[in-house]
Amino acid sequence: MKTQFIMIVISGIMMSTLNGQNLDGGQIINKVNDLINQETIYGKSEMTIITTSGNPRTFLYESWSKNYGEKNLIKYLSPARVKGQATLMLNHADDIWVYFPRTQRVRKLATHAKKQKMEGSDFSYEDMGSGDAFIKDFAAKRLKDERKEGYDCYKLEMIRKPDSDLSYSRMIMWVVKENFVPLVIDYYDKDDPDLILKTLVQSDIKVIDGIPTSMNMVMYNKQDNTHTSMSMQEIKYNIPLKDEMFTERGLKK
Amino acid sequence: MNSIKRFIFSNILILCTVYLCSILPVKSQDQVDLFGYFEPQYMGAVIQGDYIQLQSNKLRIDIEASAFDKVTFGANFDFITYHGKTQWNILDYLPEDITSAIPEEFRSYYVLPFENRIFLDNAYLKFALKHADITVGRQQISLGTGYVWNPTDLFNTKDVLDPTYEQPGHNAIRLDIPIGSRSGLTALYTVSDEWEGSDKLIQCKSGVSRFDFTITAAEKIWTFHDFMQFDTITSYFLTNPEKRQMLGGSIAGDLFGIGVWTEYAYNWMEYSEDFYELIAGIDYTFDFQTYFLIEYYRNTLGRKDHHKYTFNDWMRFVAAEQKTICRDQIYGIIQHPVTDLIFLGFSGIYCISDNSYALVPMLSSSVTNNVELLVYLNFYLGKEGTFYASNLGNGGMIRARIYF
Repeated sequence: MKTQFIMIVISGIMMSTLNGQNLDGGQIINKVNDLINQETIYGKSEMTIITTSGNPRTFLYESWSKNYGEKNLIKYLSPARVKGQATLMLNHADDIWVYFPRTQRVRKLATHAKKQKMEGSDFSYEDMGSGDAFIKDFAAKRLKDERKEGYDCYKLEMIRKPDSDLSYSRMIMWVVKENFVPLVIDYYDKDDPDLILKTLVQSDIKVIDGIPTSMNMVMYNKQDNTHTSMSMQEIKYNIPLKDEMFTERGLKK
Repeated sequence: MNSIKRFIFSNILILCTVYLCSILPVKSQDQVDLFGYFEPQYMGAVIQGDYIQLQSNKLRIDIEASAFDKVTFGANFDFITYHGKTQWNILDYLPEDITSAIPEEFRSYYVLPFENRIFLDNAYLKFALKHADITVGRQQISLGTGYVWNPTDLFNTKDVLDPTYEQPGHNAIRLDIPIGSRSGLTALYTVSDEWEGSDKLIQCKSGVSRFDFTITAAEKIWTFHDFMQFDTITSYFLTNPEKRQMLGGSIAGDLFGIGVWTEYAYNWMEYSEDFYELIAGIDYTFDFQTYFLIEYYRNTLGRKDHHKYTFNDWMRFVAAEQKTICRDQIYGIIQHPVTDLIFLGFSGIYCISDNSYALVPMLSSSVTNNVELLVYLNFYLGKEGTFYASNLGNGGMIRARIYF
């Protein structure tokens, strides 16, 4: 009986390992996409930019996401300079509106604005709002598995599709085998596929509402020698969010 | 005497608003927000061989409170002090051939004073109903898609050297009805002595694919002064109010990744000639983070030939009664982040009709989390008598803004 149980456990482990080995790049990135784009997400985050002068700049904001990352709303709580400012991104950040509370003006931005830095940070709007970009804009190829930051990881090379207008020619991604969290991502220059522009490192993975969630992330800008960290203060998954939130009225509220 | 009355009135308004804020049935103290900024500014210019400077200090205090879930109260007070050259006689800066007709004894009436001011800029209540928002009181009115000019905005005139600076509040009742995710209806009414004299506006907006559309209809009593005729009863210049009816629209969106927008308004005037305004603009951000924007503006109220600029044209422009006296203009700006904290920019404005232009190099910096710095120089390079004539002076401005 005992021997039979051990055999079942071993065969289970072997099966899962084999399944992992059988997954191709497309299947792995689909699982990553499913993990990071939940039906709805609410988050409260602190973003700290370490500037070239070495001084930190800290922002506190709330964000809401719906339809598996298709709709996104970000509202700044602090500092006073940007308090009340809000950004609405629809259609995976193809449509962007920004609200400026002092002038109460809503400005529609074209897709090129996705390349702009979010509040001078090392994250662009594209990095923040393009929910399904991993599968829509890139073709994933599985490379040899590696151990990274203490985790066994799948290593993927993501090559930008010819019809995509994203700012990166390719990405190298390390995905934690155990939970499909994209642990480290290297972003490469649009014109020079050997030049690393930025590296994203995620850490402190916790299971929130049954979903493996990275509570901290740091984006290192290799060209400017700056970095921006983001720590999640609060996160909720699959909560009811009304569509009205993701409109001009919701943006101004 | 008038300034004393204004001062007393302003203080009464402040006290009333603070009182209103305190009696609002807010749920808890932490729902009342107090914030704002302090903004010292220095401007200097060499005008006709003299170096002239004007310094100002502005303190803006904002109050925001939520009463119940559906009602928001917002207000701000501005306290501004001016120092340096606070009396500007407009006649000193206009072409001599058009100012020569002004009798010497009337010259003092053309002084533009910069007086210390305390005023209630915005104070409104916003009711968020199930299917509509109603905003009552002094509030920001921002209409149109243009960056420098907004033909459909009958309420504000932007400064071409500083087009994103906040506009004054306007007393109005506003109704916003959202329809679906990207459509809506806005109605706006500003209260005057009687219905006929009040401003009315209705705007429909919608969105299709990557484009937002608006159609706007408005009626306003537009008051022009005749700066050549003096009214002895009011001790000011004669006014020529007339009804202005406007129908316009705007489009903003994305074409092959480039931002595009246009805005048009046709104006039917009660007595004077009808006119139209049109803008068209594009913008783009390159991968290396450089941003550029170009906007073209036509206003048929402006003249095609600078020899036809009249004294009243100039005065109405200076008094912000009309947006321009030049018919066709083009504005461009290019900005690049030289570091994560410093942006360098260069803007230029060209009056196509009279071949004059101004160049504005600028630098903006985020000094700390809540401190911004803006420095720009302005060079007017047109011939005398043109819209951007060199005799208007070359100079610059330094402005810091400290938020709290």
